[in-house]
Amino acid sequence: MSEQTEAATPGESADASGLLDRWDGLRERESFSIAGAIAFVVVFPMIFTNLPAYNGYMSLVELIYIWAIFAIGFDLLLGYTGLLSFGHAVFWGGSAYAAGLFSANVSGEPLLIVLVAMVTAIVLALIIGILSLRRGGIYFAILTLAFGQMMYFIALGPLGGITGGEDGFTGVTVDPLLGALELGTGFAGVLGTLLHDIGYVLFAGFFVLAVAAAVRIVRSPYGAIFQAIAENEQRVRFLGLNVWRYKLAAFVISGAFAGVAGGLHTIHAQYVAVGSLFWITSGDIVIITVLGGIGSIFGPVTGTIAFLYVENIVSGEIAFWLLVLGALFVTVVWLFPAGIWGIVTGIRSTVREQLLGDDS
Amino acid sequence: MLLETKGLTKRFGELTAVDEVNLQIQEGDSLSVIGPNGAGKSTTVNLITGLLNPTEGKVLYRGEDITGQEPHEIVQQGLSKSFQTASIFPDLTVERNAVVASLGAEHGSFSLNFLRRLGNYDDVLERAEQTMRDMGLYEQRHVEAKSLPYGDKRRLEMALALASDPDLLFLDEPTAGMSPDETDDTVDLIERIKEERGVTIVLIEHDMEIIFRVSDRIAVLNRGAKIADGTPDEIQGDPDVQEAYLGGVEI
Amino acid sequence: MSVVGSVVGFMIQTLAVSSIYILVAIGLSITLGTLKFVNFAHAAMYLAGVYIGLGIALELQFSGDIARSIGLGNVGLDLGFLAALAIIPIITFGLGLLMERFVARPFYDRPDTDQILVTFGILLIVQELIRAFVGGRSLTFSRPAWAEGAISLGPLGTYASWRLAIIGITSVLVLAVYLYIEYTDVGLAVRAGTEDTEMVNLLGVRATRPFLVIFGVGSGLAGAAGVVGGPVFSVVPEVGVGVLVPAFLVVVVGGVGSIVGSVVGGLLIGAVEVGLVMNAPTWSSVGIYALAAVVLLVRPAGLMGAVEVDE
Repeated sequence: MSEQTEAATPGESADASGLLDRWDGLRERESFSIAGAIAFVVVFPMIFTNLPAYNGYMSLVELIYIWAIFAIGFDLLLGYTGLLSFGHAVFWGGSAYAAGLFSANVSGEPLLIVLVAMVTAIVLALIIGILSLRRGGIYFAILTLAFGQMMYFIALGPLGGITGGEDGFTGVTVDPLLGALELGTGFAGVLGTLLHDIGYVLFAGFFVLAVAAAVRIVRSPYGAIFQAIAENEQRVRFLGLNVWRYKLAAFVISGAFAGVAGGLHTIHAQYVAVGSLFWITSGDIVIITVLGGIGSIFGPVTGTIAFLYVENIVSGEIAFWLLVLGALFVTVVWLFPAGIWGIVTGIRSTVREQLLGDDS
Repeated sequence: MLLETKGLTKRFGELTAVDEVNLQIQEGDSLSVIGPNGAGKSTTVNLITGLLNPTEGKVLYRGEDITGQEPHEIVQQGLSKSFQTASIFPDLTVERNAVVASLGAEHGSFSLNFLRRLGNYDDVLERAEQTMRDMGLYEQRHVEAKSLPYGDKRRLEMALALASDPDLLFLDEPTAGMSPDETDDTVDLIERIKEERGVTIVLIEHDMEIIFRVSDRIAVLNRGAKIADGTPDEIQGDPDVQEAYLGGVEI
Repeated sequence: MSVVGSVVGFMIQTLAVSSIYILVAIGLSITLGTLKFVNFAHAAMYLAGVYIGLGIALELQFSGDIARSIGLGNVGLDLGFLAALAIIPIITFGLGLLMERFVARPFYDRPDTDQILVTFGILLIVQELIRAFVGGRSLTFSRPAWAEGAISLGPLGTYASWRLAIIGITSVLVLAVYLYIEYTDVGLAVRAGTEDTEMVNLLGVRATRPFLVIFGVGSGLAGAAGVVGGPVFSVVPEVGVGVLVPAFLVVVVGGVGSIVGSVVGGLLIGAVEVGLVMNAPTWSSVGIYALAAVVLLVRPAGLMGAVEVDE
């Protein structure tokens, strides 16, 4: 949590010298976050693919980036603005269908597919946001759940003809990036070791972009106001700010992230399942974000890695992993509301206090 | 006339919480609203500041009808409110509290760009710093608001209410729960605000000493209705007030 | 069929569908109105009603992986439907009290989002426990023999006894709870709590006995809904959420905190659903959401909802 609260203004902490302060000053810089994200996408596969029981496929690493974009956007809403949506499957699944239909009927250019997916999600978020924000606070979770389920039933029933109904949408056709770069084309030499293939660059690139955008948003006036709304909505209103519009803005921004992720998922999976619109998908993103830790950029990424690793690798070993997951989720909500990342930062600041003797 | 209510009425089901209340507030004049618990003081303020919509009646601000507007619209016109419980952002630093308040003051119109760094809004940061210095909170700017002592929290609360340079400020029991020293400081602060900023103050208070120190006029509410309105001397001698509100207790 | 007959037929089908939603919605509505508590785990009470009810009425087959690995077979009391209907509300009433004491109460002072998250987590756990022990496949909850067949209502036509039974059972339960809430201290607490958020916000008031009872009564009704709904909806672990969402819509449409609101909301939702099933089946699952959207736009507090003070 501390990163973003310190971030507003460059601190006048130059008088307090020491390595740790210089490190903090560095960390507050936006370019540091972006460089960190780039370093992450280079190093992460080397570590991750060597984890126990991992079969070595890059596909899961790419899937992690896609879900992480979804989770980062979700946390802008839940962690920063304090709004809990149980209908985010709409933006993930809705944009995935839009991406699939666009690829089949208009163009298979990956960048255009992602753009169409994002715009679709923004439009959906505006409509559902306006409806769900009609009632205050606690109703938001209920209404987003309800309208999320509505889209699921619409895709199954009335729109079954174009969505493929229960079978999902199978006609996805993805062209080479910018018309020339086949997603499966691998790089040679060092570049191959670091960046694998064009597809990896596409997914990892969007992940870095999402981190950069999220960091910028958190450090914008919007970020400050989102956090203030989460803490004390009424005070924000009495500061002369239109809370309703900022909440809608947070919802739409969050939807846009989910849209980019949904579009990328269509490109990645070459298929859209109707389950992508089901409430369980909304529940998954809630679990991922809360487990990882809300109110930071790294928390949701941590949650995504843990969730996808267990779901795809370990779930075979633990027979009732959903049951374990549910118990873990309740434990985190109950006892560790800051999530896995919160525990990590907690340890970090304890270590620092030990090092400094006194935490000013 | 800065603010005027005409026949302001609020009913909750069968209960009439505010009953045809007419208030007039002149610019630069300090008004205190007093009355026993449940007299409708807070409800009246909530009706004026837009938290509640009146069942009947009107609120006029500088002659303009503002009845039924949203709180943020009313605040943008120069009316502000300090809450009874310190309404601050507890997990944010004092500086962040002030920055959010300046954002409200400078950019209430939702014209902000969400991809622009907050650090580039010099006007916002300058105003935040000014607000903190005015209220003597600058030294504590890096402290989380929840760790402030109670008196400082109330000062931060008032700083938030004043950040937008309001013309009219509602103070809801600003000294509730304070020690005598803190109460003294707060009353001094209120007097300073009046003089230096020329803010018109409407005070809701129980403490008679504060009321007589601060107010030019007093309005007395009882069971939702206004039963008296006048200078402190007039109110002190009013038999109705003594009967209804004070139950015969000497003021 | 005569016009009167088809109108009555439509009404009876609507009432039967609405019944289950209303039974689930009342508990949600009261806890929302008084405690401002969003309880996703309310669906767990419905699940308890379905599965435990099946074990009491007939027999519950434990075919989940855990049950198999520990050699748990079938457990059935075979006491019949009415016995289940009598016992289940008592069990879920008790579960409701436990849930209030050990889940809801520790969260009254935490942020709204934490409350919702923890009840969601508990619903997940209950759902997965059922999958682990009973299994994920759909079970059969047969109607009682006495409710098979049809009853003739003279010139109004002939109707399935089962539907009439559901309507009768629900009417009795809802009326009993209505009278209880209307004419006792508990009811006073409900009404005061719904109208006066300030009072509810004061710490301690929520933990008093009436609110505990309210939680139990709501859970009891949801359990009864599980017994009644068992033979109507499918018996799978996911059916909890499947019923919870329409019940939430009932609360949104009807307004919080009043039983009348839940009944009105439930009837409207049921009518829209039945009407669409008869006339435009592809839209049948979508219509109830459209209804909720329209109500939100036109009358955000719900049809019977008092205009609340926005905190």
